[in-house]
Amino acid sequence: MLGRLIKYDLKSSGKLFILLHGIFLIFCILMRFIYMDRLDLLAPVDEKMLVVSLLLFFTIFTVFVSALMFYTLMQIAFRYYRNLFSREGYLSWTLPVSGIQHLWAKIISGCIFMAADTLIVAAGILILATGKNIRNAYSLIADEITLQLGMTIGDFGLILLILCLASCICNVVMIYFCINIGQLFPGHRVLCAVAAYIITSTVIQTGSLIILFIFGYFPGYEFFAAEGATTFDFMINIYVISGVISAVVTVAMYIASHYIMKKKINLI
Amino acid sequence: MRPILECQKLTKKYGNFFALSNVDLSLERGKIVGLLGPNGSGKTTLIKLANGLLTPTEGHIMINGLEPGPATKKIVSYLPDHSFFNGHMKVKHLMAYYADFYRNFSTERALKMLDALEIDKDKRLNALSKGAQEKVQLVLVMSRDADLYILDEPIGGVDPAARDYILRTILSNYSENSTVLISTHLITDIEQVLDHVIFLQNGQISLNTSVDEIRTEYGKSVDALFREVFKC
Repeated sequence: MLGRLIKYDLKSSGKLFILLHGIFLIFCILMRFIYMDRLDLLAPVDEKMLVVSLLLFFTIFTVFVSALMFYTLMQIAFRYYRNLFSREGYLSWTLPVSGIQHLWAKIISGCIFMAADTLIVAAGILILATGKNIRNAYSLIADEITLQLGMTIGDFGLILLILCLASCICNVVMIYFCINIGQLFPGHRVLCAVAAYIITSTVIQTGSLIILFIFGYFPGYEFFAAEGATTFDFMINIYVISGVISAVVTVAMYIASHYIMKKKINLI
Repeated sequence: MRPILECQKLTKKYGNFFALSNVDLSLERGKIVGLLGPNGSGKTTLIKLANGLLTPTEGHIMINGLEPGPATKKIVSYLPDHSFFNGHMKVKHLMAYYADFYRNFSTERALKMLDALEIDKDKRLNALSKGAQEKVQLVLVMSRDADLYILDEPIGGVDPAARDYILRTILSNYSENSTVLISTHLITDIEQVLDHVIFLQNGQISLNTSVDEIRTEYGKSVDALFREVFKC
């Protein structure tokens, strides 16, 4: 039954997801040939023009990526809410499956969408940034960046990608947790879910900052630099601590969601 | 044989309001039962509790001796009082969905009924009229070989001719071991098919008897008795 639930989740949102991400990839491919490949970063050029055009391009790119990520986030949230707590919930909750199976189906399908979104955005960046001209220009500063990072930019990007993929689980569980919290209220459930999201995010971020502060990582880059550590050493330590915090928070949010889905379902 | 539906001291509160209060009830198999009462009497709350869509505040509700869960949902076929399908899905895809999740769903029976009602299987649900959408829902619900059919206002939104077809559908699709629990305001239309009636008033059962007993004891039809009991 879990497989069937996942299949219907992927089918219901898949078409628009593929269409939008397909448009993004086409945009990246076109921009690679129309814009990026025509940039001559080594030739003497009007610096102002170059900066303005790069700024404009990366603003458009950032807006596109943000919109795509926001869409994915909203799609996951709406699917969960609509399928389980709106009118469609009357069918979902009368299927011969448990609330926990519903929760896992949504976690798995949500993670698939979010991971796919992350991979497609990463692919878009790769398409744009791997032209010969960019690589040649980068080779001039590669040693300095490698020294600063403690590894090549490729390895660094790969680690960042893995961390982003791992954070998908936390993001998806957090969305579902907040919607579940919203369902505990007798009215204005969507508004309560949004409030729960804002409060949860604030608490997690403040808590993380306090923990980083206690461990001396915030603000502590100067201290680490003085000790002779690379940017990578500093960042990896921050990621490890943040990862542990995220894992603990994700487990706590899952346990709360598990309890609500098992004991507190009320479709009003 | 254990009752198909049993309530013990069943209570459901919304804030300080008692939607159901200390309801004790037992439904036998093989009957068509009318769950009747004015608006806000607790009919839909009872139905939702039986389907696991609400959690009781106190007491228990059991389907075939089990609390609502995956095992009871296999044997209960439920029709809510409003649209509950994704309107973007085509009728044939909704049938596939039912066949995927319910082992007791008969695609053949559903196709036969859809053909009789001249409903196009290739159309999306929201491209059909409101009445046709309700018919699709009822067809899918009645195409299951369930032990308990729970129908919340099944004939509310359809024309009188379609009502007759729906009532015939209900009568012809349930087996002698199945129970049908129908909640409706249109008592005159369904009185002919009912074996048993339950009157709900302010979250409590005010009458639980057979239709024959109403006729012999009160000398009235169910509709006349309902109007007398719930007179405004």
